[in-house]
Amino acid sequence: MSTRIRRVVVVGNGVAGLTAADSLRASGFDGELTVVGDEPHAAYSRPALSKALLLDGAGAAHELPPATHGATELLGVRARGLDLERRLVTLGDGTELPYDRLVIATGARARRLSGLPEEHTLRGLDDALALRDRLAASPSVVVAGGGPLGMEIASACLAAGCEVTLVSQGVPLIGHLGPYLAGVFGEAARERGLTVVETGAARVERDAGGVRVVLDDGAVVEAELLVSAAGDVPNTEWLAGTGLAAGGVVRVDARGLARPGVAAAGDLAAFPTPYGPRRVPLWNSAVEQAKVAAAALVRGDGAPPLRFQPYFWTEQFGLSLKAVGYLPVDGEPEHLEPGLMRWSRAGVAVALNHRIPIPRLRRAAA
Amino acid sequence: MKIVLDRPRCEGHGLCEEAAPELMHLDDDGELVLDREEIGDAEVPLASAAVRVCPVAALRLA
Ligand SMILES: Cc1cc2nc3c(=O)[nH]c(=O)nc-3n(C[C@H](O)[C@H](O)[C@H](O)COP(=O)(O)OP(=O)(O)OC[C@H]3O[C@@H](n4cnc5c(N)ncnc54)[C@H](O)[C@@H]3O)c2cc1C
Ligand code: SF4
Repeated sequence: MSTRIRRVVVVGNGVAGLTAADSLRASGFDGELTVVGDEPHAAYSRPALSKALLLDGAGAAHELPPATHGATELLGVRARGLDLERRLVTLGDGTELPYDRLVIATGARARRLSGLPEEHTLRGLDDALALRDRLAASPSVVVAGGGPLGMEIASACLAAGCEVTLVSQGVPLIGHLGPYLAGVFGEAARERGLTVVETGAARVERDAGGVRVVLDDGAVVEAELLVSAAGDVPNTEWLAGTGLAAGGVVRVDARGLARPGVAAAGDLAAFPTPYGPRRVPLWNSAVEQAKVAAAALVRGDGAPPLRFQPYFWTEQFGLSLKAVGYLPVDGEPEHLEPGLMRWSRAGVAVALNHRIPIPRLRRAAA
Repeated sequence: MKIVLDRPRCEGHGLCEEAAPELMHLDDDGELVLDREEIGDAEVPLASAAVRVCPVAALRLA
């Protein structure tokens, strides 16, 4: 079967695109493989950007081993359009790239709260390097966004010696982790000197003195540096007119297929979960989706469907958390041993400052 | 080929173990143990999968 597939194009060179390209090879595809990525860099580890990279001056924490898939890599090149009928990807300069099979892996970008250049976000390597440079002078910082990313950024800014205010819609992390863990992290954050301001919807605006965050009650939070971490938006604009990205996500089946011969994987893909079709914009999710999708493109219906249980980790305020299962989770956990807890009805297990093999953590969750 | 672990970088996520349990595991203290360092050609895809999934690039093939 694989002999009939001559050309595969992978659009997006994040971990989903990279893993898809590797897995296509591992599944026996030996034809022409092209990877298109609009960042001028080789694929790197995005989770490292808000952790080791912000703290470590030398800054190689994000580097991944070089790709071995032998694809033609068009880096710094953006895909602009897709023609499903004619099986063509249109590049930024108008070049048309034909394919027999396609992998859509253009990920997501930071959701911005304003169009102002003073509003920093953290999604790509260039963002992280720019932020690290700014932190060197220990400016006062306001972080807008109380999710895991906003909290990691706030933690790194504190570690860099900055005075930090975090503006959060509701209690930080509560929507992501649930009340128990949000409490644990909130306490660690305050102990380390984080000022938390809870609000409804906040705005970012500019006045004579610079940019500032305006809270729902009209109060204003100002600082020398403003970083927002207000969620992500899937990069689906180049799919306009194809019907693939209704609602701003690419819906796929359990094998990662959006259409016959067209797969999608990573942060932009909504796949079947016990809670309905969902995006799970996490590292391990992107890797697992990409493997399944590549196998499905090469092997067809014989390929196995996705069997997925989320794995999430974060490092902030001196705490290291590893979690398996679908978060957030309600109620109090059962403590199995120091640093290991479980919410059995929800199928969630968490290790806090506790090194544990992930397979063991998965067993604890079951 | 050989699997090389950069131990100070390893954060014990164990995603590598999930990808290639035949080649490595985390011990009870959460330290990664390479059960096989020298690998044959047949195991290269498995080892590559483990190397790739590590979010801190603590593993490489040499
Ligand atoms: C700062 C940060 C910290 C994170 N920390 C964690 C963590 O601790 N744990 C965790 O599990 N997850 C974490 N994540 C999430 C995780 O990094 C993502 O889930 C993962 O990177 C998704 O991979 P992807 O390949 O789908 O998307 P991406 O990594 O976004 O890759 C998509 C690529 O496609 C490119 N692209 C976009 N549009 C086009 C186009 N039209 N043409 C060509 N190329 C295009 C993009 O520039 C990008 O390079 C973090 C994310 C960020 C930003
Ligand atoms: S995935 Fe990386 S960090 Fe995690 S245990 Fe393996 S080598 Fe260590």
